[in-house]
Amino acid sequence: MSIRIAVGQGSCGIAAGAAKVFAALEQQLAGSAVSLGTVGCIGMCWLEPIVDLYEDNRLAARLVRICPDDAARIAEAARTGDLSGIAGLTISAEDSRFLEQQTRIALRNCGIIDPNSLESARAAGGYAALEAVLTGKGMTPEEVIACIKVSGLAGRGGAGFPTWFKWNAARQSPGDEKYLICNADEGDPGAFMDRAVIESDPHTLIEGMLIGAYAIGAKEAVVYVRAEYPLAIRRLSHAIDEAKAAGLIGQHILGTDFSCEFRIKAGAGAFVCGEETALIESLEGQRGMPRLKPPFPAAAGYWQKPSNINNVETFANVAWIIQHGGEAFAAMGTEGSKGTKVFALTGKIQRSGLVEIPMGMTLREVIFGIGGGVRDGRQFKAVQLGGPSGGCVPAELLDTVIDYKELSATGAIMGSGGMVVMDDTTCMVSMAKFFLDFTAKESCGKCVHCRIGTKRMQEILDRIVSGDGKPEDLDLLEELCLAVRDGALCGLGQTAPNPVLTALRYFRPEFEAHTAVEKRCPAHACAALLQYEIDAEKCRGCTACARKCPVGAIAGNVRQPHTIDKNQCIRCGACFAACRFDAVSRL
Amino acid sequence: MKQIHFTVNGIPCVCDEGMTILQAARANGIEIPNLCNDERVRVYGACGLCAVEITDGGDGRPLPKLLRACSAKIAEGYAVRFDTDRVTRSRKIALELLMSDHTGDCRGPCQLNCPAGTDCQGYVKKIAQGDFQGAVEIIKEKIPLPASIGRVCPHPCEQHCRRGLVEQPVSIAALKAHAADRDLAGTPFRAAQKPDSGKRVAVVGGGPAGLTAAYFLRLAGHAVTVLDAQAHMGGMLRYGIPAYRLPKDVLDREIALIAETGVTLKNGVRLGRDITLDALRRAYDAVILATGAWASMPMRVPGEELSGVTGGIEFLHGISSQEGEIPDLSGKTVAVCGGGNTAMDACRTAVRCGAEKVYVIYRRTRSEMPAEDIEITEAEQEGVIFRFLTNPAELIGENGRVRQMRLQIMELGEPDASGRRAPVPVEGKYELLDTDLVIMAIGQKPDPAGLDGIFLTNRGTVSADAHSFLTNLPGVYAVGDATNRGASIAIEAIGEAGRCAKVADAALRGESKPYFAPFYSQKAVTAADLADRETVPRCEPPVRDAAERRTDFLPVSLGLTDAAAMHEAKRCLECGCHDYADCRLIRYAQQQPISPERFAGAKNVHQPERRLVTIERDNGKCILCALCVRICEEQAKQGILGLVGRGFPTVIRPEFDRPERISACRDCLLCADACPTGALRIL
Amino acid sequence: MENQSARAKSDLSLLAPVLAEYAPQKGSLITILQHAQDIYGYLPADVLFHIAEQTGTTPAKVMGVATFYTQFRFQPVGKYLIQLCDGTACHVNGSAQIAEAIRQHLHIENGGTTADGLFSLNIVACLGCCSLSPVMTVNDDSYGALTPEKAVAILDGLRAKEAAV
Repeated sequence: MSIRIAVGQGSCGIAAGAAKVFAALEQQLAGSAVSLGTVGCIGMCWLEPIVDLYEDNRLAARLVRICPDDAARIAEAARTGDLSGIAGLTISAEDSRFLEQQTRIALRNCGIIDPNSLESARAAGGYAALEAVLTGKGMTPEEVIACIKVSGLAGRGGAGFPTWFKWNAARQSPGDEKYLICNADEGDPGAFMDRAVIESDPHTLIEGMLIGAYAIGAKEAVVYVRAEYPLAIRRLSHAIDEAKAAGLIGQHILGTDFSCEFRIKAGAGAFVCGEETALIESLEGQRGMPRLKPPFPAAAGYWQKPSNINNVETFANVAWIIQHGGEAFAAMGTEGSKGTKVFALTGKIQRSGLVEIPMGMTLREVIFGIGGGVRDGRQFKAVQLGGPSGGCVPAELLDTVIDYKELSATGAIMGSGGMVVMDDTTCMVSMAKFFLDFTAKESCGKCVHCRIGTKRMQEILDRIVSGDGKPEDLDLLEELCLAVRDGALCGLGQTAPNPVLTALRYFRPEFEAHTAVEKRCPAHACAALLQYEIDAEKCRGCTACARKCPVGAIAGNVRQPHTIDKNQCIRCGACFAACRFDAVSRL
Repeated sequence: MKQIHFTVNGIPCVCDEGMTILQAARANGIEIPNLCNDERVRVYGACGLCAVEITDGGDGRPLPKLLRACSAKIAEGYAVRFDTDRVTRSRKIALELLMSDHTGDCRGPCQLNCPAGTDCQGYVKKIAQGDFQGAVEIIKEKIPLPASIGRVCPHPCEQHCRRGLVEQPVSIAALKAHAADRDLAGTPFRAAQKPDSGKRVAVVGGGPAGLTAAYFLRLAGHAVTVLDAQAHMGGMLRYGIPAYRLPKDVLDREIALIAETGVTLKNGVRLGRDITLDALRRAYDAVILATGAWASMPMRVPGEELSGVTGGIEFLHGISSQEGEIPDLSGKTVAVCGGGNTAMDACRTAVRCGAEKVYVIYRRTRSEMPAEDIEITEAEQEGVIFRFLTNPAELIGENGRVRQMRLQIMELGEPDASGRRAPVPVEGKYELLDTDLVIMAIGQKPDPAGLDGIFLTNRGTVSADAHSFLTNLPGVYAVGDATNRGASIAIEAIGEAGRCAKVADAALRGESKPYFAPFYSQKAVTAADLADRETVPRCEPPVRDAAERRTDFLPVSLGLTDAAAMHEAKRCLECGCHDYADCRLIRYAQQQPISPERFAGAKNVHQPERRLVTIERDNGKCILCALCVRICEEQAKQGILGLVGRGFPTVIRPEFDRPERISACRDCLLCADACPTGALRIL
Repeated sequence: MENQSARAKSDLSLLAPVLAEYAPQKGSLITILQHAQDIYGYLPADVLFHIAEQTGTTPAKVMGVATFYTQFRFQPVGKYLIQLCDGTACHVNGSAQIAEAIRQHLHIENGGTTADGLFSLNIVACLGCCSLSPVMTVNDDSYGALTPEKAVAILDGLRAKEAAV
């Protein structure tokens, strides 16, 4: 019996200390026969660092929240095969349910294979689909497109456009020089699906892209990755090198007539480059300002040549579809949305991480079933989908099923997969402002509606959370939102109002409370709208609050109840945090 | 080539295949609003003004999204509209957003504060260039009586003139009078006149308002008759303003020029006495009421009915027009009540009638006086005694004739609604003033006689709509002192009459073009902003010595010489945008009412800068259409200009501060030519 | 950035290999700028001019591209570059308080560098470690589940390390 140890080392695992755990294990295992390896991210981020013990390639134990001090025990268990000593480190049955309720296609190898090893990827079935397409009986490009059409795969970047249609359009476009581009410029704050796939299973992405390149007739493939993802870039370029050395990339792939070169382009920090025409501008070394459509990239894209752009998750599904058939993929999901979708479940959630589920599951099943509901025993308020382009869905719509159309009907969008849970301490006005701060900062500045419109929306929201809002600001905000949605040039601007519009739609009374005469923030989150008071009954006169108050607004003698001078108070909340007797109340 | 059939705003059009909607409309003579499009460079799609709605996509169904006409291709059967609610709303907000981050003065504060909107900067510039005729042409676009107005106008233009922040305002009014005098002395300018329309208009009242309405309606081709109750035309300019301010021959000559356009002038016809409004309405296609405010307001103090108590208007009537006897007031004491220009006219006239002592009774202090400062100064020079902070409490008579006036002593309290400190009586403090004649010049009001069936305001003035100038009776307009807020200065009446003439002309042609105050971008300027300007003293027309002029009714002012006028005109700071006439942004912004102030927020702050030799760039006026950048790159093949930064603070700059690179600029000026606003200025 | 003198002399020879490799490839401007920033720590004006000359484009274009992307800097940064995430998850979990603590502790604003040149602070959109929120990275190291106290302790640790050297 041989035991293999795998340490999950995605960016977030590393941030949680996985590299130190790895180093400690390496030290402890020096000279032993136990093999120690790296895997990517399994997606159970709240349990990081995670160490898996495999017995003959069967998962024998999943150890969670490991620190370097645990290394000796783990090494001992691995050497002896007696796992009893590490029972306490093992994942709980309840936490295990997080994975058990998922259906993993795009993430099928994540956290299981070694992302730095082609061999590991191939052992897990990597490149089998490419072989099936290119060698033996093979498939024509048209057959590949037909298979994708049957699968119902749609763009996972957010828009949900049928993948086969784009492939077909690029295939049909005249010209020899065509490009296949992968959009890995995952910029939505709160989303990290693409990063996890690239860091954990880069070969699945490469394989999907090669099949796509074959289908549209591209001889060159480019991956545009966010510069903020250095580990993903390192692992992907290593994978490309390995694949090239193995004849899977380059000229005459697998000995066939199909040739395709690969390149990585690192982005330089611009959310708008997630918009496909802006991405192309950026690839060409320009300012990432969107182009007018038409012409669409399928007709004139990168260097004005026919180009096809899909996002990481879309490509990550392709090999599976080829191997299992389009029907198998289409068997999952709803009438209009097929297959699975990956979400990055975060925010005020018990179990946050990567979730891949079949379309058609409800939001409630994902948030409360898989995610375990809201943490710290607080009340669920809303879930934000689709980041700055999306919107919030309130509690009463939790039974909405995950489906492009159903989610759009709520005013939110499927998006690329950001799913941020908010509890009753989250102020929806300030959330809307947060997103507008983001889009206003990320606006490329080209079109008037977005450049000035998002700025003005941000200013109005800023006014409201600062207590300077007027009731009529809400109508003005809404009017501006609708105009920007109608008038902006690209997707970024057109969808920028969504977070505000959905918040206004579902939480208007909360906005009204901010703008009413008495100016209140029901979530107690907007500092400028809060009032602090000391309960004389509870106050012991410990002076902790008075000492913390930065402006000396608290008066009182030792062992006597203290008072806050409201005119002097700057509403910083220091007293509230300092009081050990729950005597300071926030209104 | 295949022909495409489509409609734009319902108008059937045809074009060749492959055009954008913008090109297709243009090929059919229809200009869809746009700012960032230029056929010389590739489409860009920044401004969003060219948004159109496709109400029929050729298959009977509308397209869900608005399209940018600059990039979307025209297709068979498209019904393109840029006049739908959705499109105009989108365009309106785009313009409001642009203007909310626009820093510049479309027009100078002089023009914006002129009630008639006269292009002061324009004519002052012409005068600076010695082109007096050109100046008059500009003035007469708004004022048909410039020589008269130049003499009497309290010139709000000068109060707001930014030169005043440097040292003193430009003598705009005197410049106007000078240009107009030269015009009258030579071959006077005659404005182009439209062919006769066949429509007839009656104007009731031959004062500044009535004459202005008549003049512009006549130029528009209508047959106009002015009916006036007095013996001669001119209204208050003749009967209110004394001859020493406005010589009547100047007024006569200007009225004669109006008559020469073909306006029929009929004097001695009083509405309600000689003709009824009803009859006028039947005889004419439109009636314009410009009857003025001829009744002095009473003071409502005991003794007002005594003999020797009169109104300012009544006192001035015969003297100012030089149609009546000049009363001999020698040895008499005169008390004029009021602090406005009529009070000044009355007291200075009383001086000229030989009065021994002339008092002005005013309840506030000099700084609150509504009269023009120069009028007060000149009255003081002429010996008028000002009794500030006094208010008539009672007129005391003897044998039915006024002998004394009891004055309540006042002090200044808190500021009132007008912002001026309100006078309050000092309890129990009175003074007695001996007087032989009391002239009440505290305000005027219209006489409603003859206005049968016309709705009046609660002030007793004619109620007229602010946008259509119509009274409650169809086809009957009202302007000037008789309407709404009541009596004001002549230029106010002239402005209103000019605007009314435009609206009435449109109505006579079957169109509806209500007046809305056009939007202008304005920027705040302080003295500190102008600290680098060289001071040049203001040049005023010389005046005759007080001792001499107080004995006659000859003109006080001696006027400017050509050289002085040109020198003075050169003091103009030229605040208004050089590109106003060609600016597409302001043209679109004025096509519909917009309110950029509702989106007021942070602005990008820029100062005009000269980094290229021949071009000044004012990024405050830049709309980031990037036409300059694109044309420099695509047409001039230089690529000197670039966008810097992103998002809201994005700015266009010539590259760095390296002279050798900037010298790559070949002065082709394509950038300035392409700029749709006034951001680029050729030096 | 324009005030920064174009006369400042950077060692342009360091850039030669990068230009040799990428200048002939069209569309490589961003890549070249990224390498240049790796070499110089930021993008000095003379380097930008040099890149424009060597790639056959205009300084205006280079400037336009460089100022468009947030990755590029025009001032030198501190030895330790703190990137504090303000993505949605971090925001919801209190990144604003962390930012405030860092600002107060180091006496710098977002985008600023401490007087001793040790720390620079950049608040960034999303680092993609949402489950560990709030998160910051200091150079290549990530720190998750931050509290204001923890963030300050990390910075103090680095400062102590520097002082020891």
